[in-house]
Amino acid sequence: MLTPNLPYSHLSRNLRLQLLDMIYESGSGHIGGCLSSLDILISLYFSDLFNFNRDHFILSAGHLACALYTVLSAKNYFPSRLLSTYTDFNSLLQGHVSTDVPGVEYSSGSLGQGLSFAAGLALGDKSHTTVCLTTDGEHQEGQIWESLMFAQKYQLSNLINIVDCNGTQIDGRIEEIMPLNNLAAKYVQFGWTVTTVNGHNLHQIAKALKSALNHSHSGYPSCVIAKTVLGRGVSFMEHQFKYHDIKNLDPSLYLQAKNDLESY
Amino acid sequence: MILNPTKTASIRQAFGDTLTQLAKSNRHLYVVSMDLKSSLHLTNFAKKYPRRFIECGIAEANAAAIAAGLAKSGKTVFLCSFACFSPAINWAVIRQSICYNHLDVKIVGSHAGLTTGELGATHQMLEDVALMTTLPNMEVFAPVDAIETQKITTTLSRSRRPAYLRLVRPATSLLFDPKNTFTIGKSHLLKSGRDITVIGYGPILEQAFMAQSQLSLQKPNISLEIINCSSIKPFDFTIISRSLKKTGRLICLEDHQQNGGLGHLVAAALLHHRLSPKFIHLAVNNQFGRSAKNYSQLYDYYGLGVKNLITAAKKLL
Repeated sequence: MLTPNLPYSHLSRNLRLQLLDMIYESGSGHIGGCLSSLDILISLYFSDLFNFNRDHFILSAGHLACALYTVLSAKNYFPSRLLSTYTDFNSLLQGHVSTDVPGVEYSSGSLGQGLSFAAGLALGDKSHTTVCLTTDGEHQEGQIWESLMFAQKYQLSNLINIVDCNGTQIDGRIEEIMPLNNLAAKYVQFGWTVTTVNGHNLHQIAKALKSALNHSHSGYPSCVIAKTVLGRGVSFMEHQFKYHDIKNLDPSLYLQAKNDLESY
Repeated sequence: MILNPTKTASIRQAFGDTLTQLAKSNRHLYVVSMDLKSSLHLTNFAKKYPRRFIECGIAEANAAAIAAGLAKSGKTVFLCSFACFSPAINWAVIRQSICYNHLDVKIVGSHAGLTTGELGATHQMLEDVALMTTLPNMEVFAPVDAIETQKITTTLSRSRRPAYLRLVRPATSLLFDPKNTFTIGKSHLLKSGRDITVIGYGPILEQAFMAQSQLSLQKPNISLEIINCSSIKPFDFTIISRSLKKTGRLICLEDHQQNGGLGHLVAAALLHHRLSPKFIHLAVNNQFGRSAKNYSQLYDYYGLGVKNLITAAKKLL
C-alpha cells in the first residue's frame, strides 16, 4: 500500500515541476487537468495494487497526456529526456496520449469513449483489472451513460473508473456549462459501487482502489470519485478554468508557477 | 457469366450463417450487437455462443468502443447493425477507438442503399462508403451477392485489421462464381465484353446484366464488360485500366451518393494515371432516399435503373 509520506510527496512535487517544464517548453498543454489528475496517476502506478504489465490502464481523457507521460517516465517506461520533446514533430509524445508511447494501451483525445473501451477490455480479460481515468466534464458525453449501463449488465467488477472531479471544463465551471449534480448518486442508480475521496490524498485514493479490488468478484463495477483542484499547486491557476490549457505561458508566470511548485 | 440468373439468396443470411460457422473453429470470434441480431441473422450465433455474443442495446457509440476494447484483449470482433446506425451514428468512435488504435473490429452495416425499400430515407444509408473509405487503417468491402458475402466474411475473420462490410436487405441474384476466391484488393470480372466497361459494387451490378440483355436486342454487336469492385478499399485499379484499354468507355454504377463514392475514387485514379476514357457516373445525386415497395422503382427514380444504364451506354458509344 501507499502512504501519504515520503517519497511520494516528493514525487508529486517533482512530476508537477516536470510537467510544467514540458508544457512551458512545448508552448502548449492541458496544465490544469494534468495538475488535478497527477496524484491519481501516482496512486495507480506507485502503489503495489496493480501490475500494469498485466492489468490495464485506460486514459479516457487523452488531454491529460503530460501527467501520464511524466508518471510513465518515472516508472522507466521510457527515458525522461523524451519529456522535453512533447508535441515536437517526430516525437513519440503526441499532444493527446497515444499508443506510440511505451506503457500506453489506448490512444485517446475525443472524450467519452475510453470508459466503453475499458469495459470491453474488462469483459475480454476478466482475469485482470482494468482501470479507467475519466473527468467530470467528460460525463456530459452521452456515451459515458451507455457504458455505465453496459458495465452493470455484464457485471464488470474487474472494472474501476476513477473520475477526476475538478469542477471545471474548457469554457467554465461545470455547474454553469452543464451541471452533473450528484454524480455519486447517479453511479449508484446505474448499479455501480461508489467511493468519494480527496483526489490529492494518495492514501485515500489507494485505500479506495484497494477496496474496489477487494470486491472484484462482487458483480459490481467500481467508481472512485476523486475530488480534485484544477491547477493544483500553482496558486494563480487553482480553480481557474482559463488554465484548462495554456498557450505560450508568459515567462514571469512560468517562474511564479515554478516557485509555487518547488514549495509544494 | 451469370451463374444462377433466376436464383436469389439473402446476403444477410449468408453473413449470419457464415459467421456462426466460423465461430465453431475460431473461439476468439465475437459479435457485438446493437439490438438487431435477428435482422442480421445472428440469432443462431447468440444461441450457440452466448458468451461471445455481446448485446449492447440501442447504443452504437458505446458498442463501437466495447468492440475495440474486446479486440484489445485479443478477440476478433464483428460489430453488427444497420449502416444508417453503425457507422453513421458512431463514426467518431470508429475513427478513434478502432482505426487510430489499429484494432481488429469489422463494422458490418446492413440495409445499405436504396434496396432497403419501404423503410425510407432515414434507413437507406447512401453515405457509408464515403464515411468509411476516408478513414486511415480502414478497409471497405461490399459483396455482390450471398456467395461473395460468405467468402468476404471468411477472409475478414482472419485479416486482424479494421474493416467495413456493407450488406443489403433483400435477397438478391447470385452473380459470383463460387469457384473464384476473394482476395482483399482484387476485383473480379463478372462478364467480359468489348465496348463499355461497367464497374460497381453490391447487387446493383445485376442491373448491368439486365441492360446487356436489352441492349443485345437493340444493338446486337454491343457488349458490356462488367467488373465487380467488391474490394472498394484497397482498390484494384489494374483490372479497370486493362479493361479500359479495350473499351475506352466507363460507367460507374453505385447505390450510394455520387459524392465520396466509388466513381470519385476511380475518377481520381484515372487522372492520376493520365487516362481519359468517356465516363459516366450513375449514383444518387445529392438527394435523400424515399420509400418504395419495390426497390427497382427507386433505382429508376434516382437514375440508377436499367433504362438509365442503356441511355448512358448509348451516350458513350
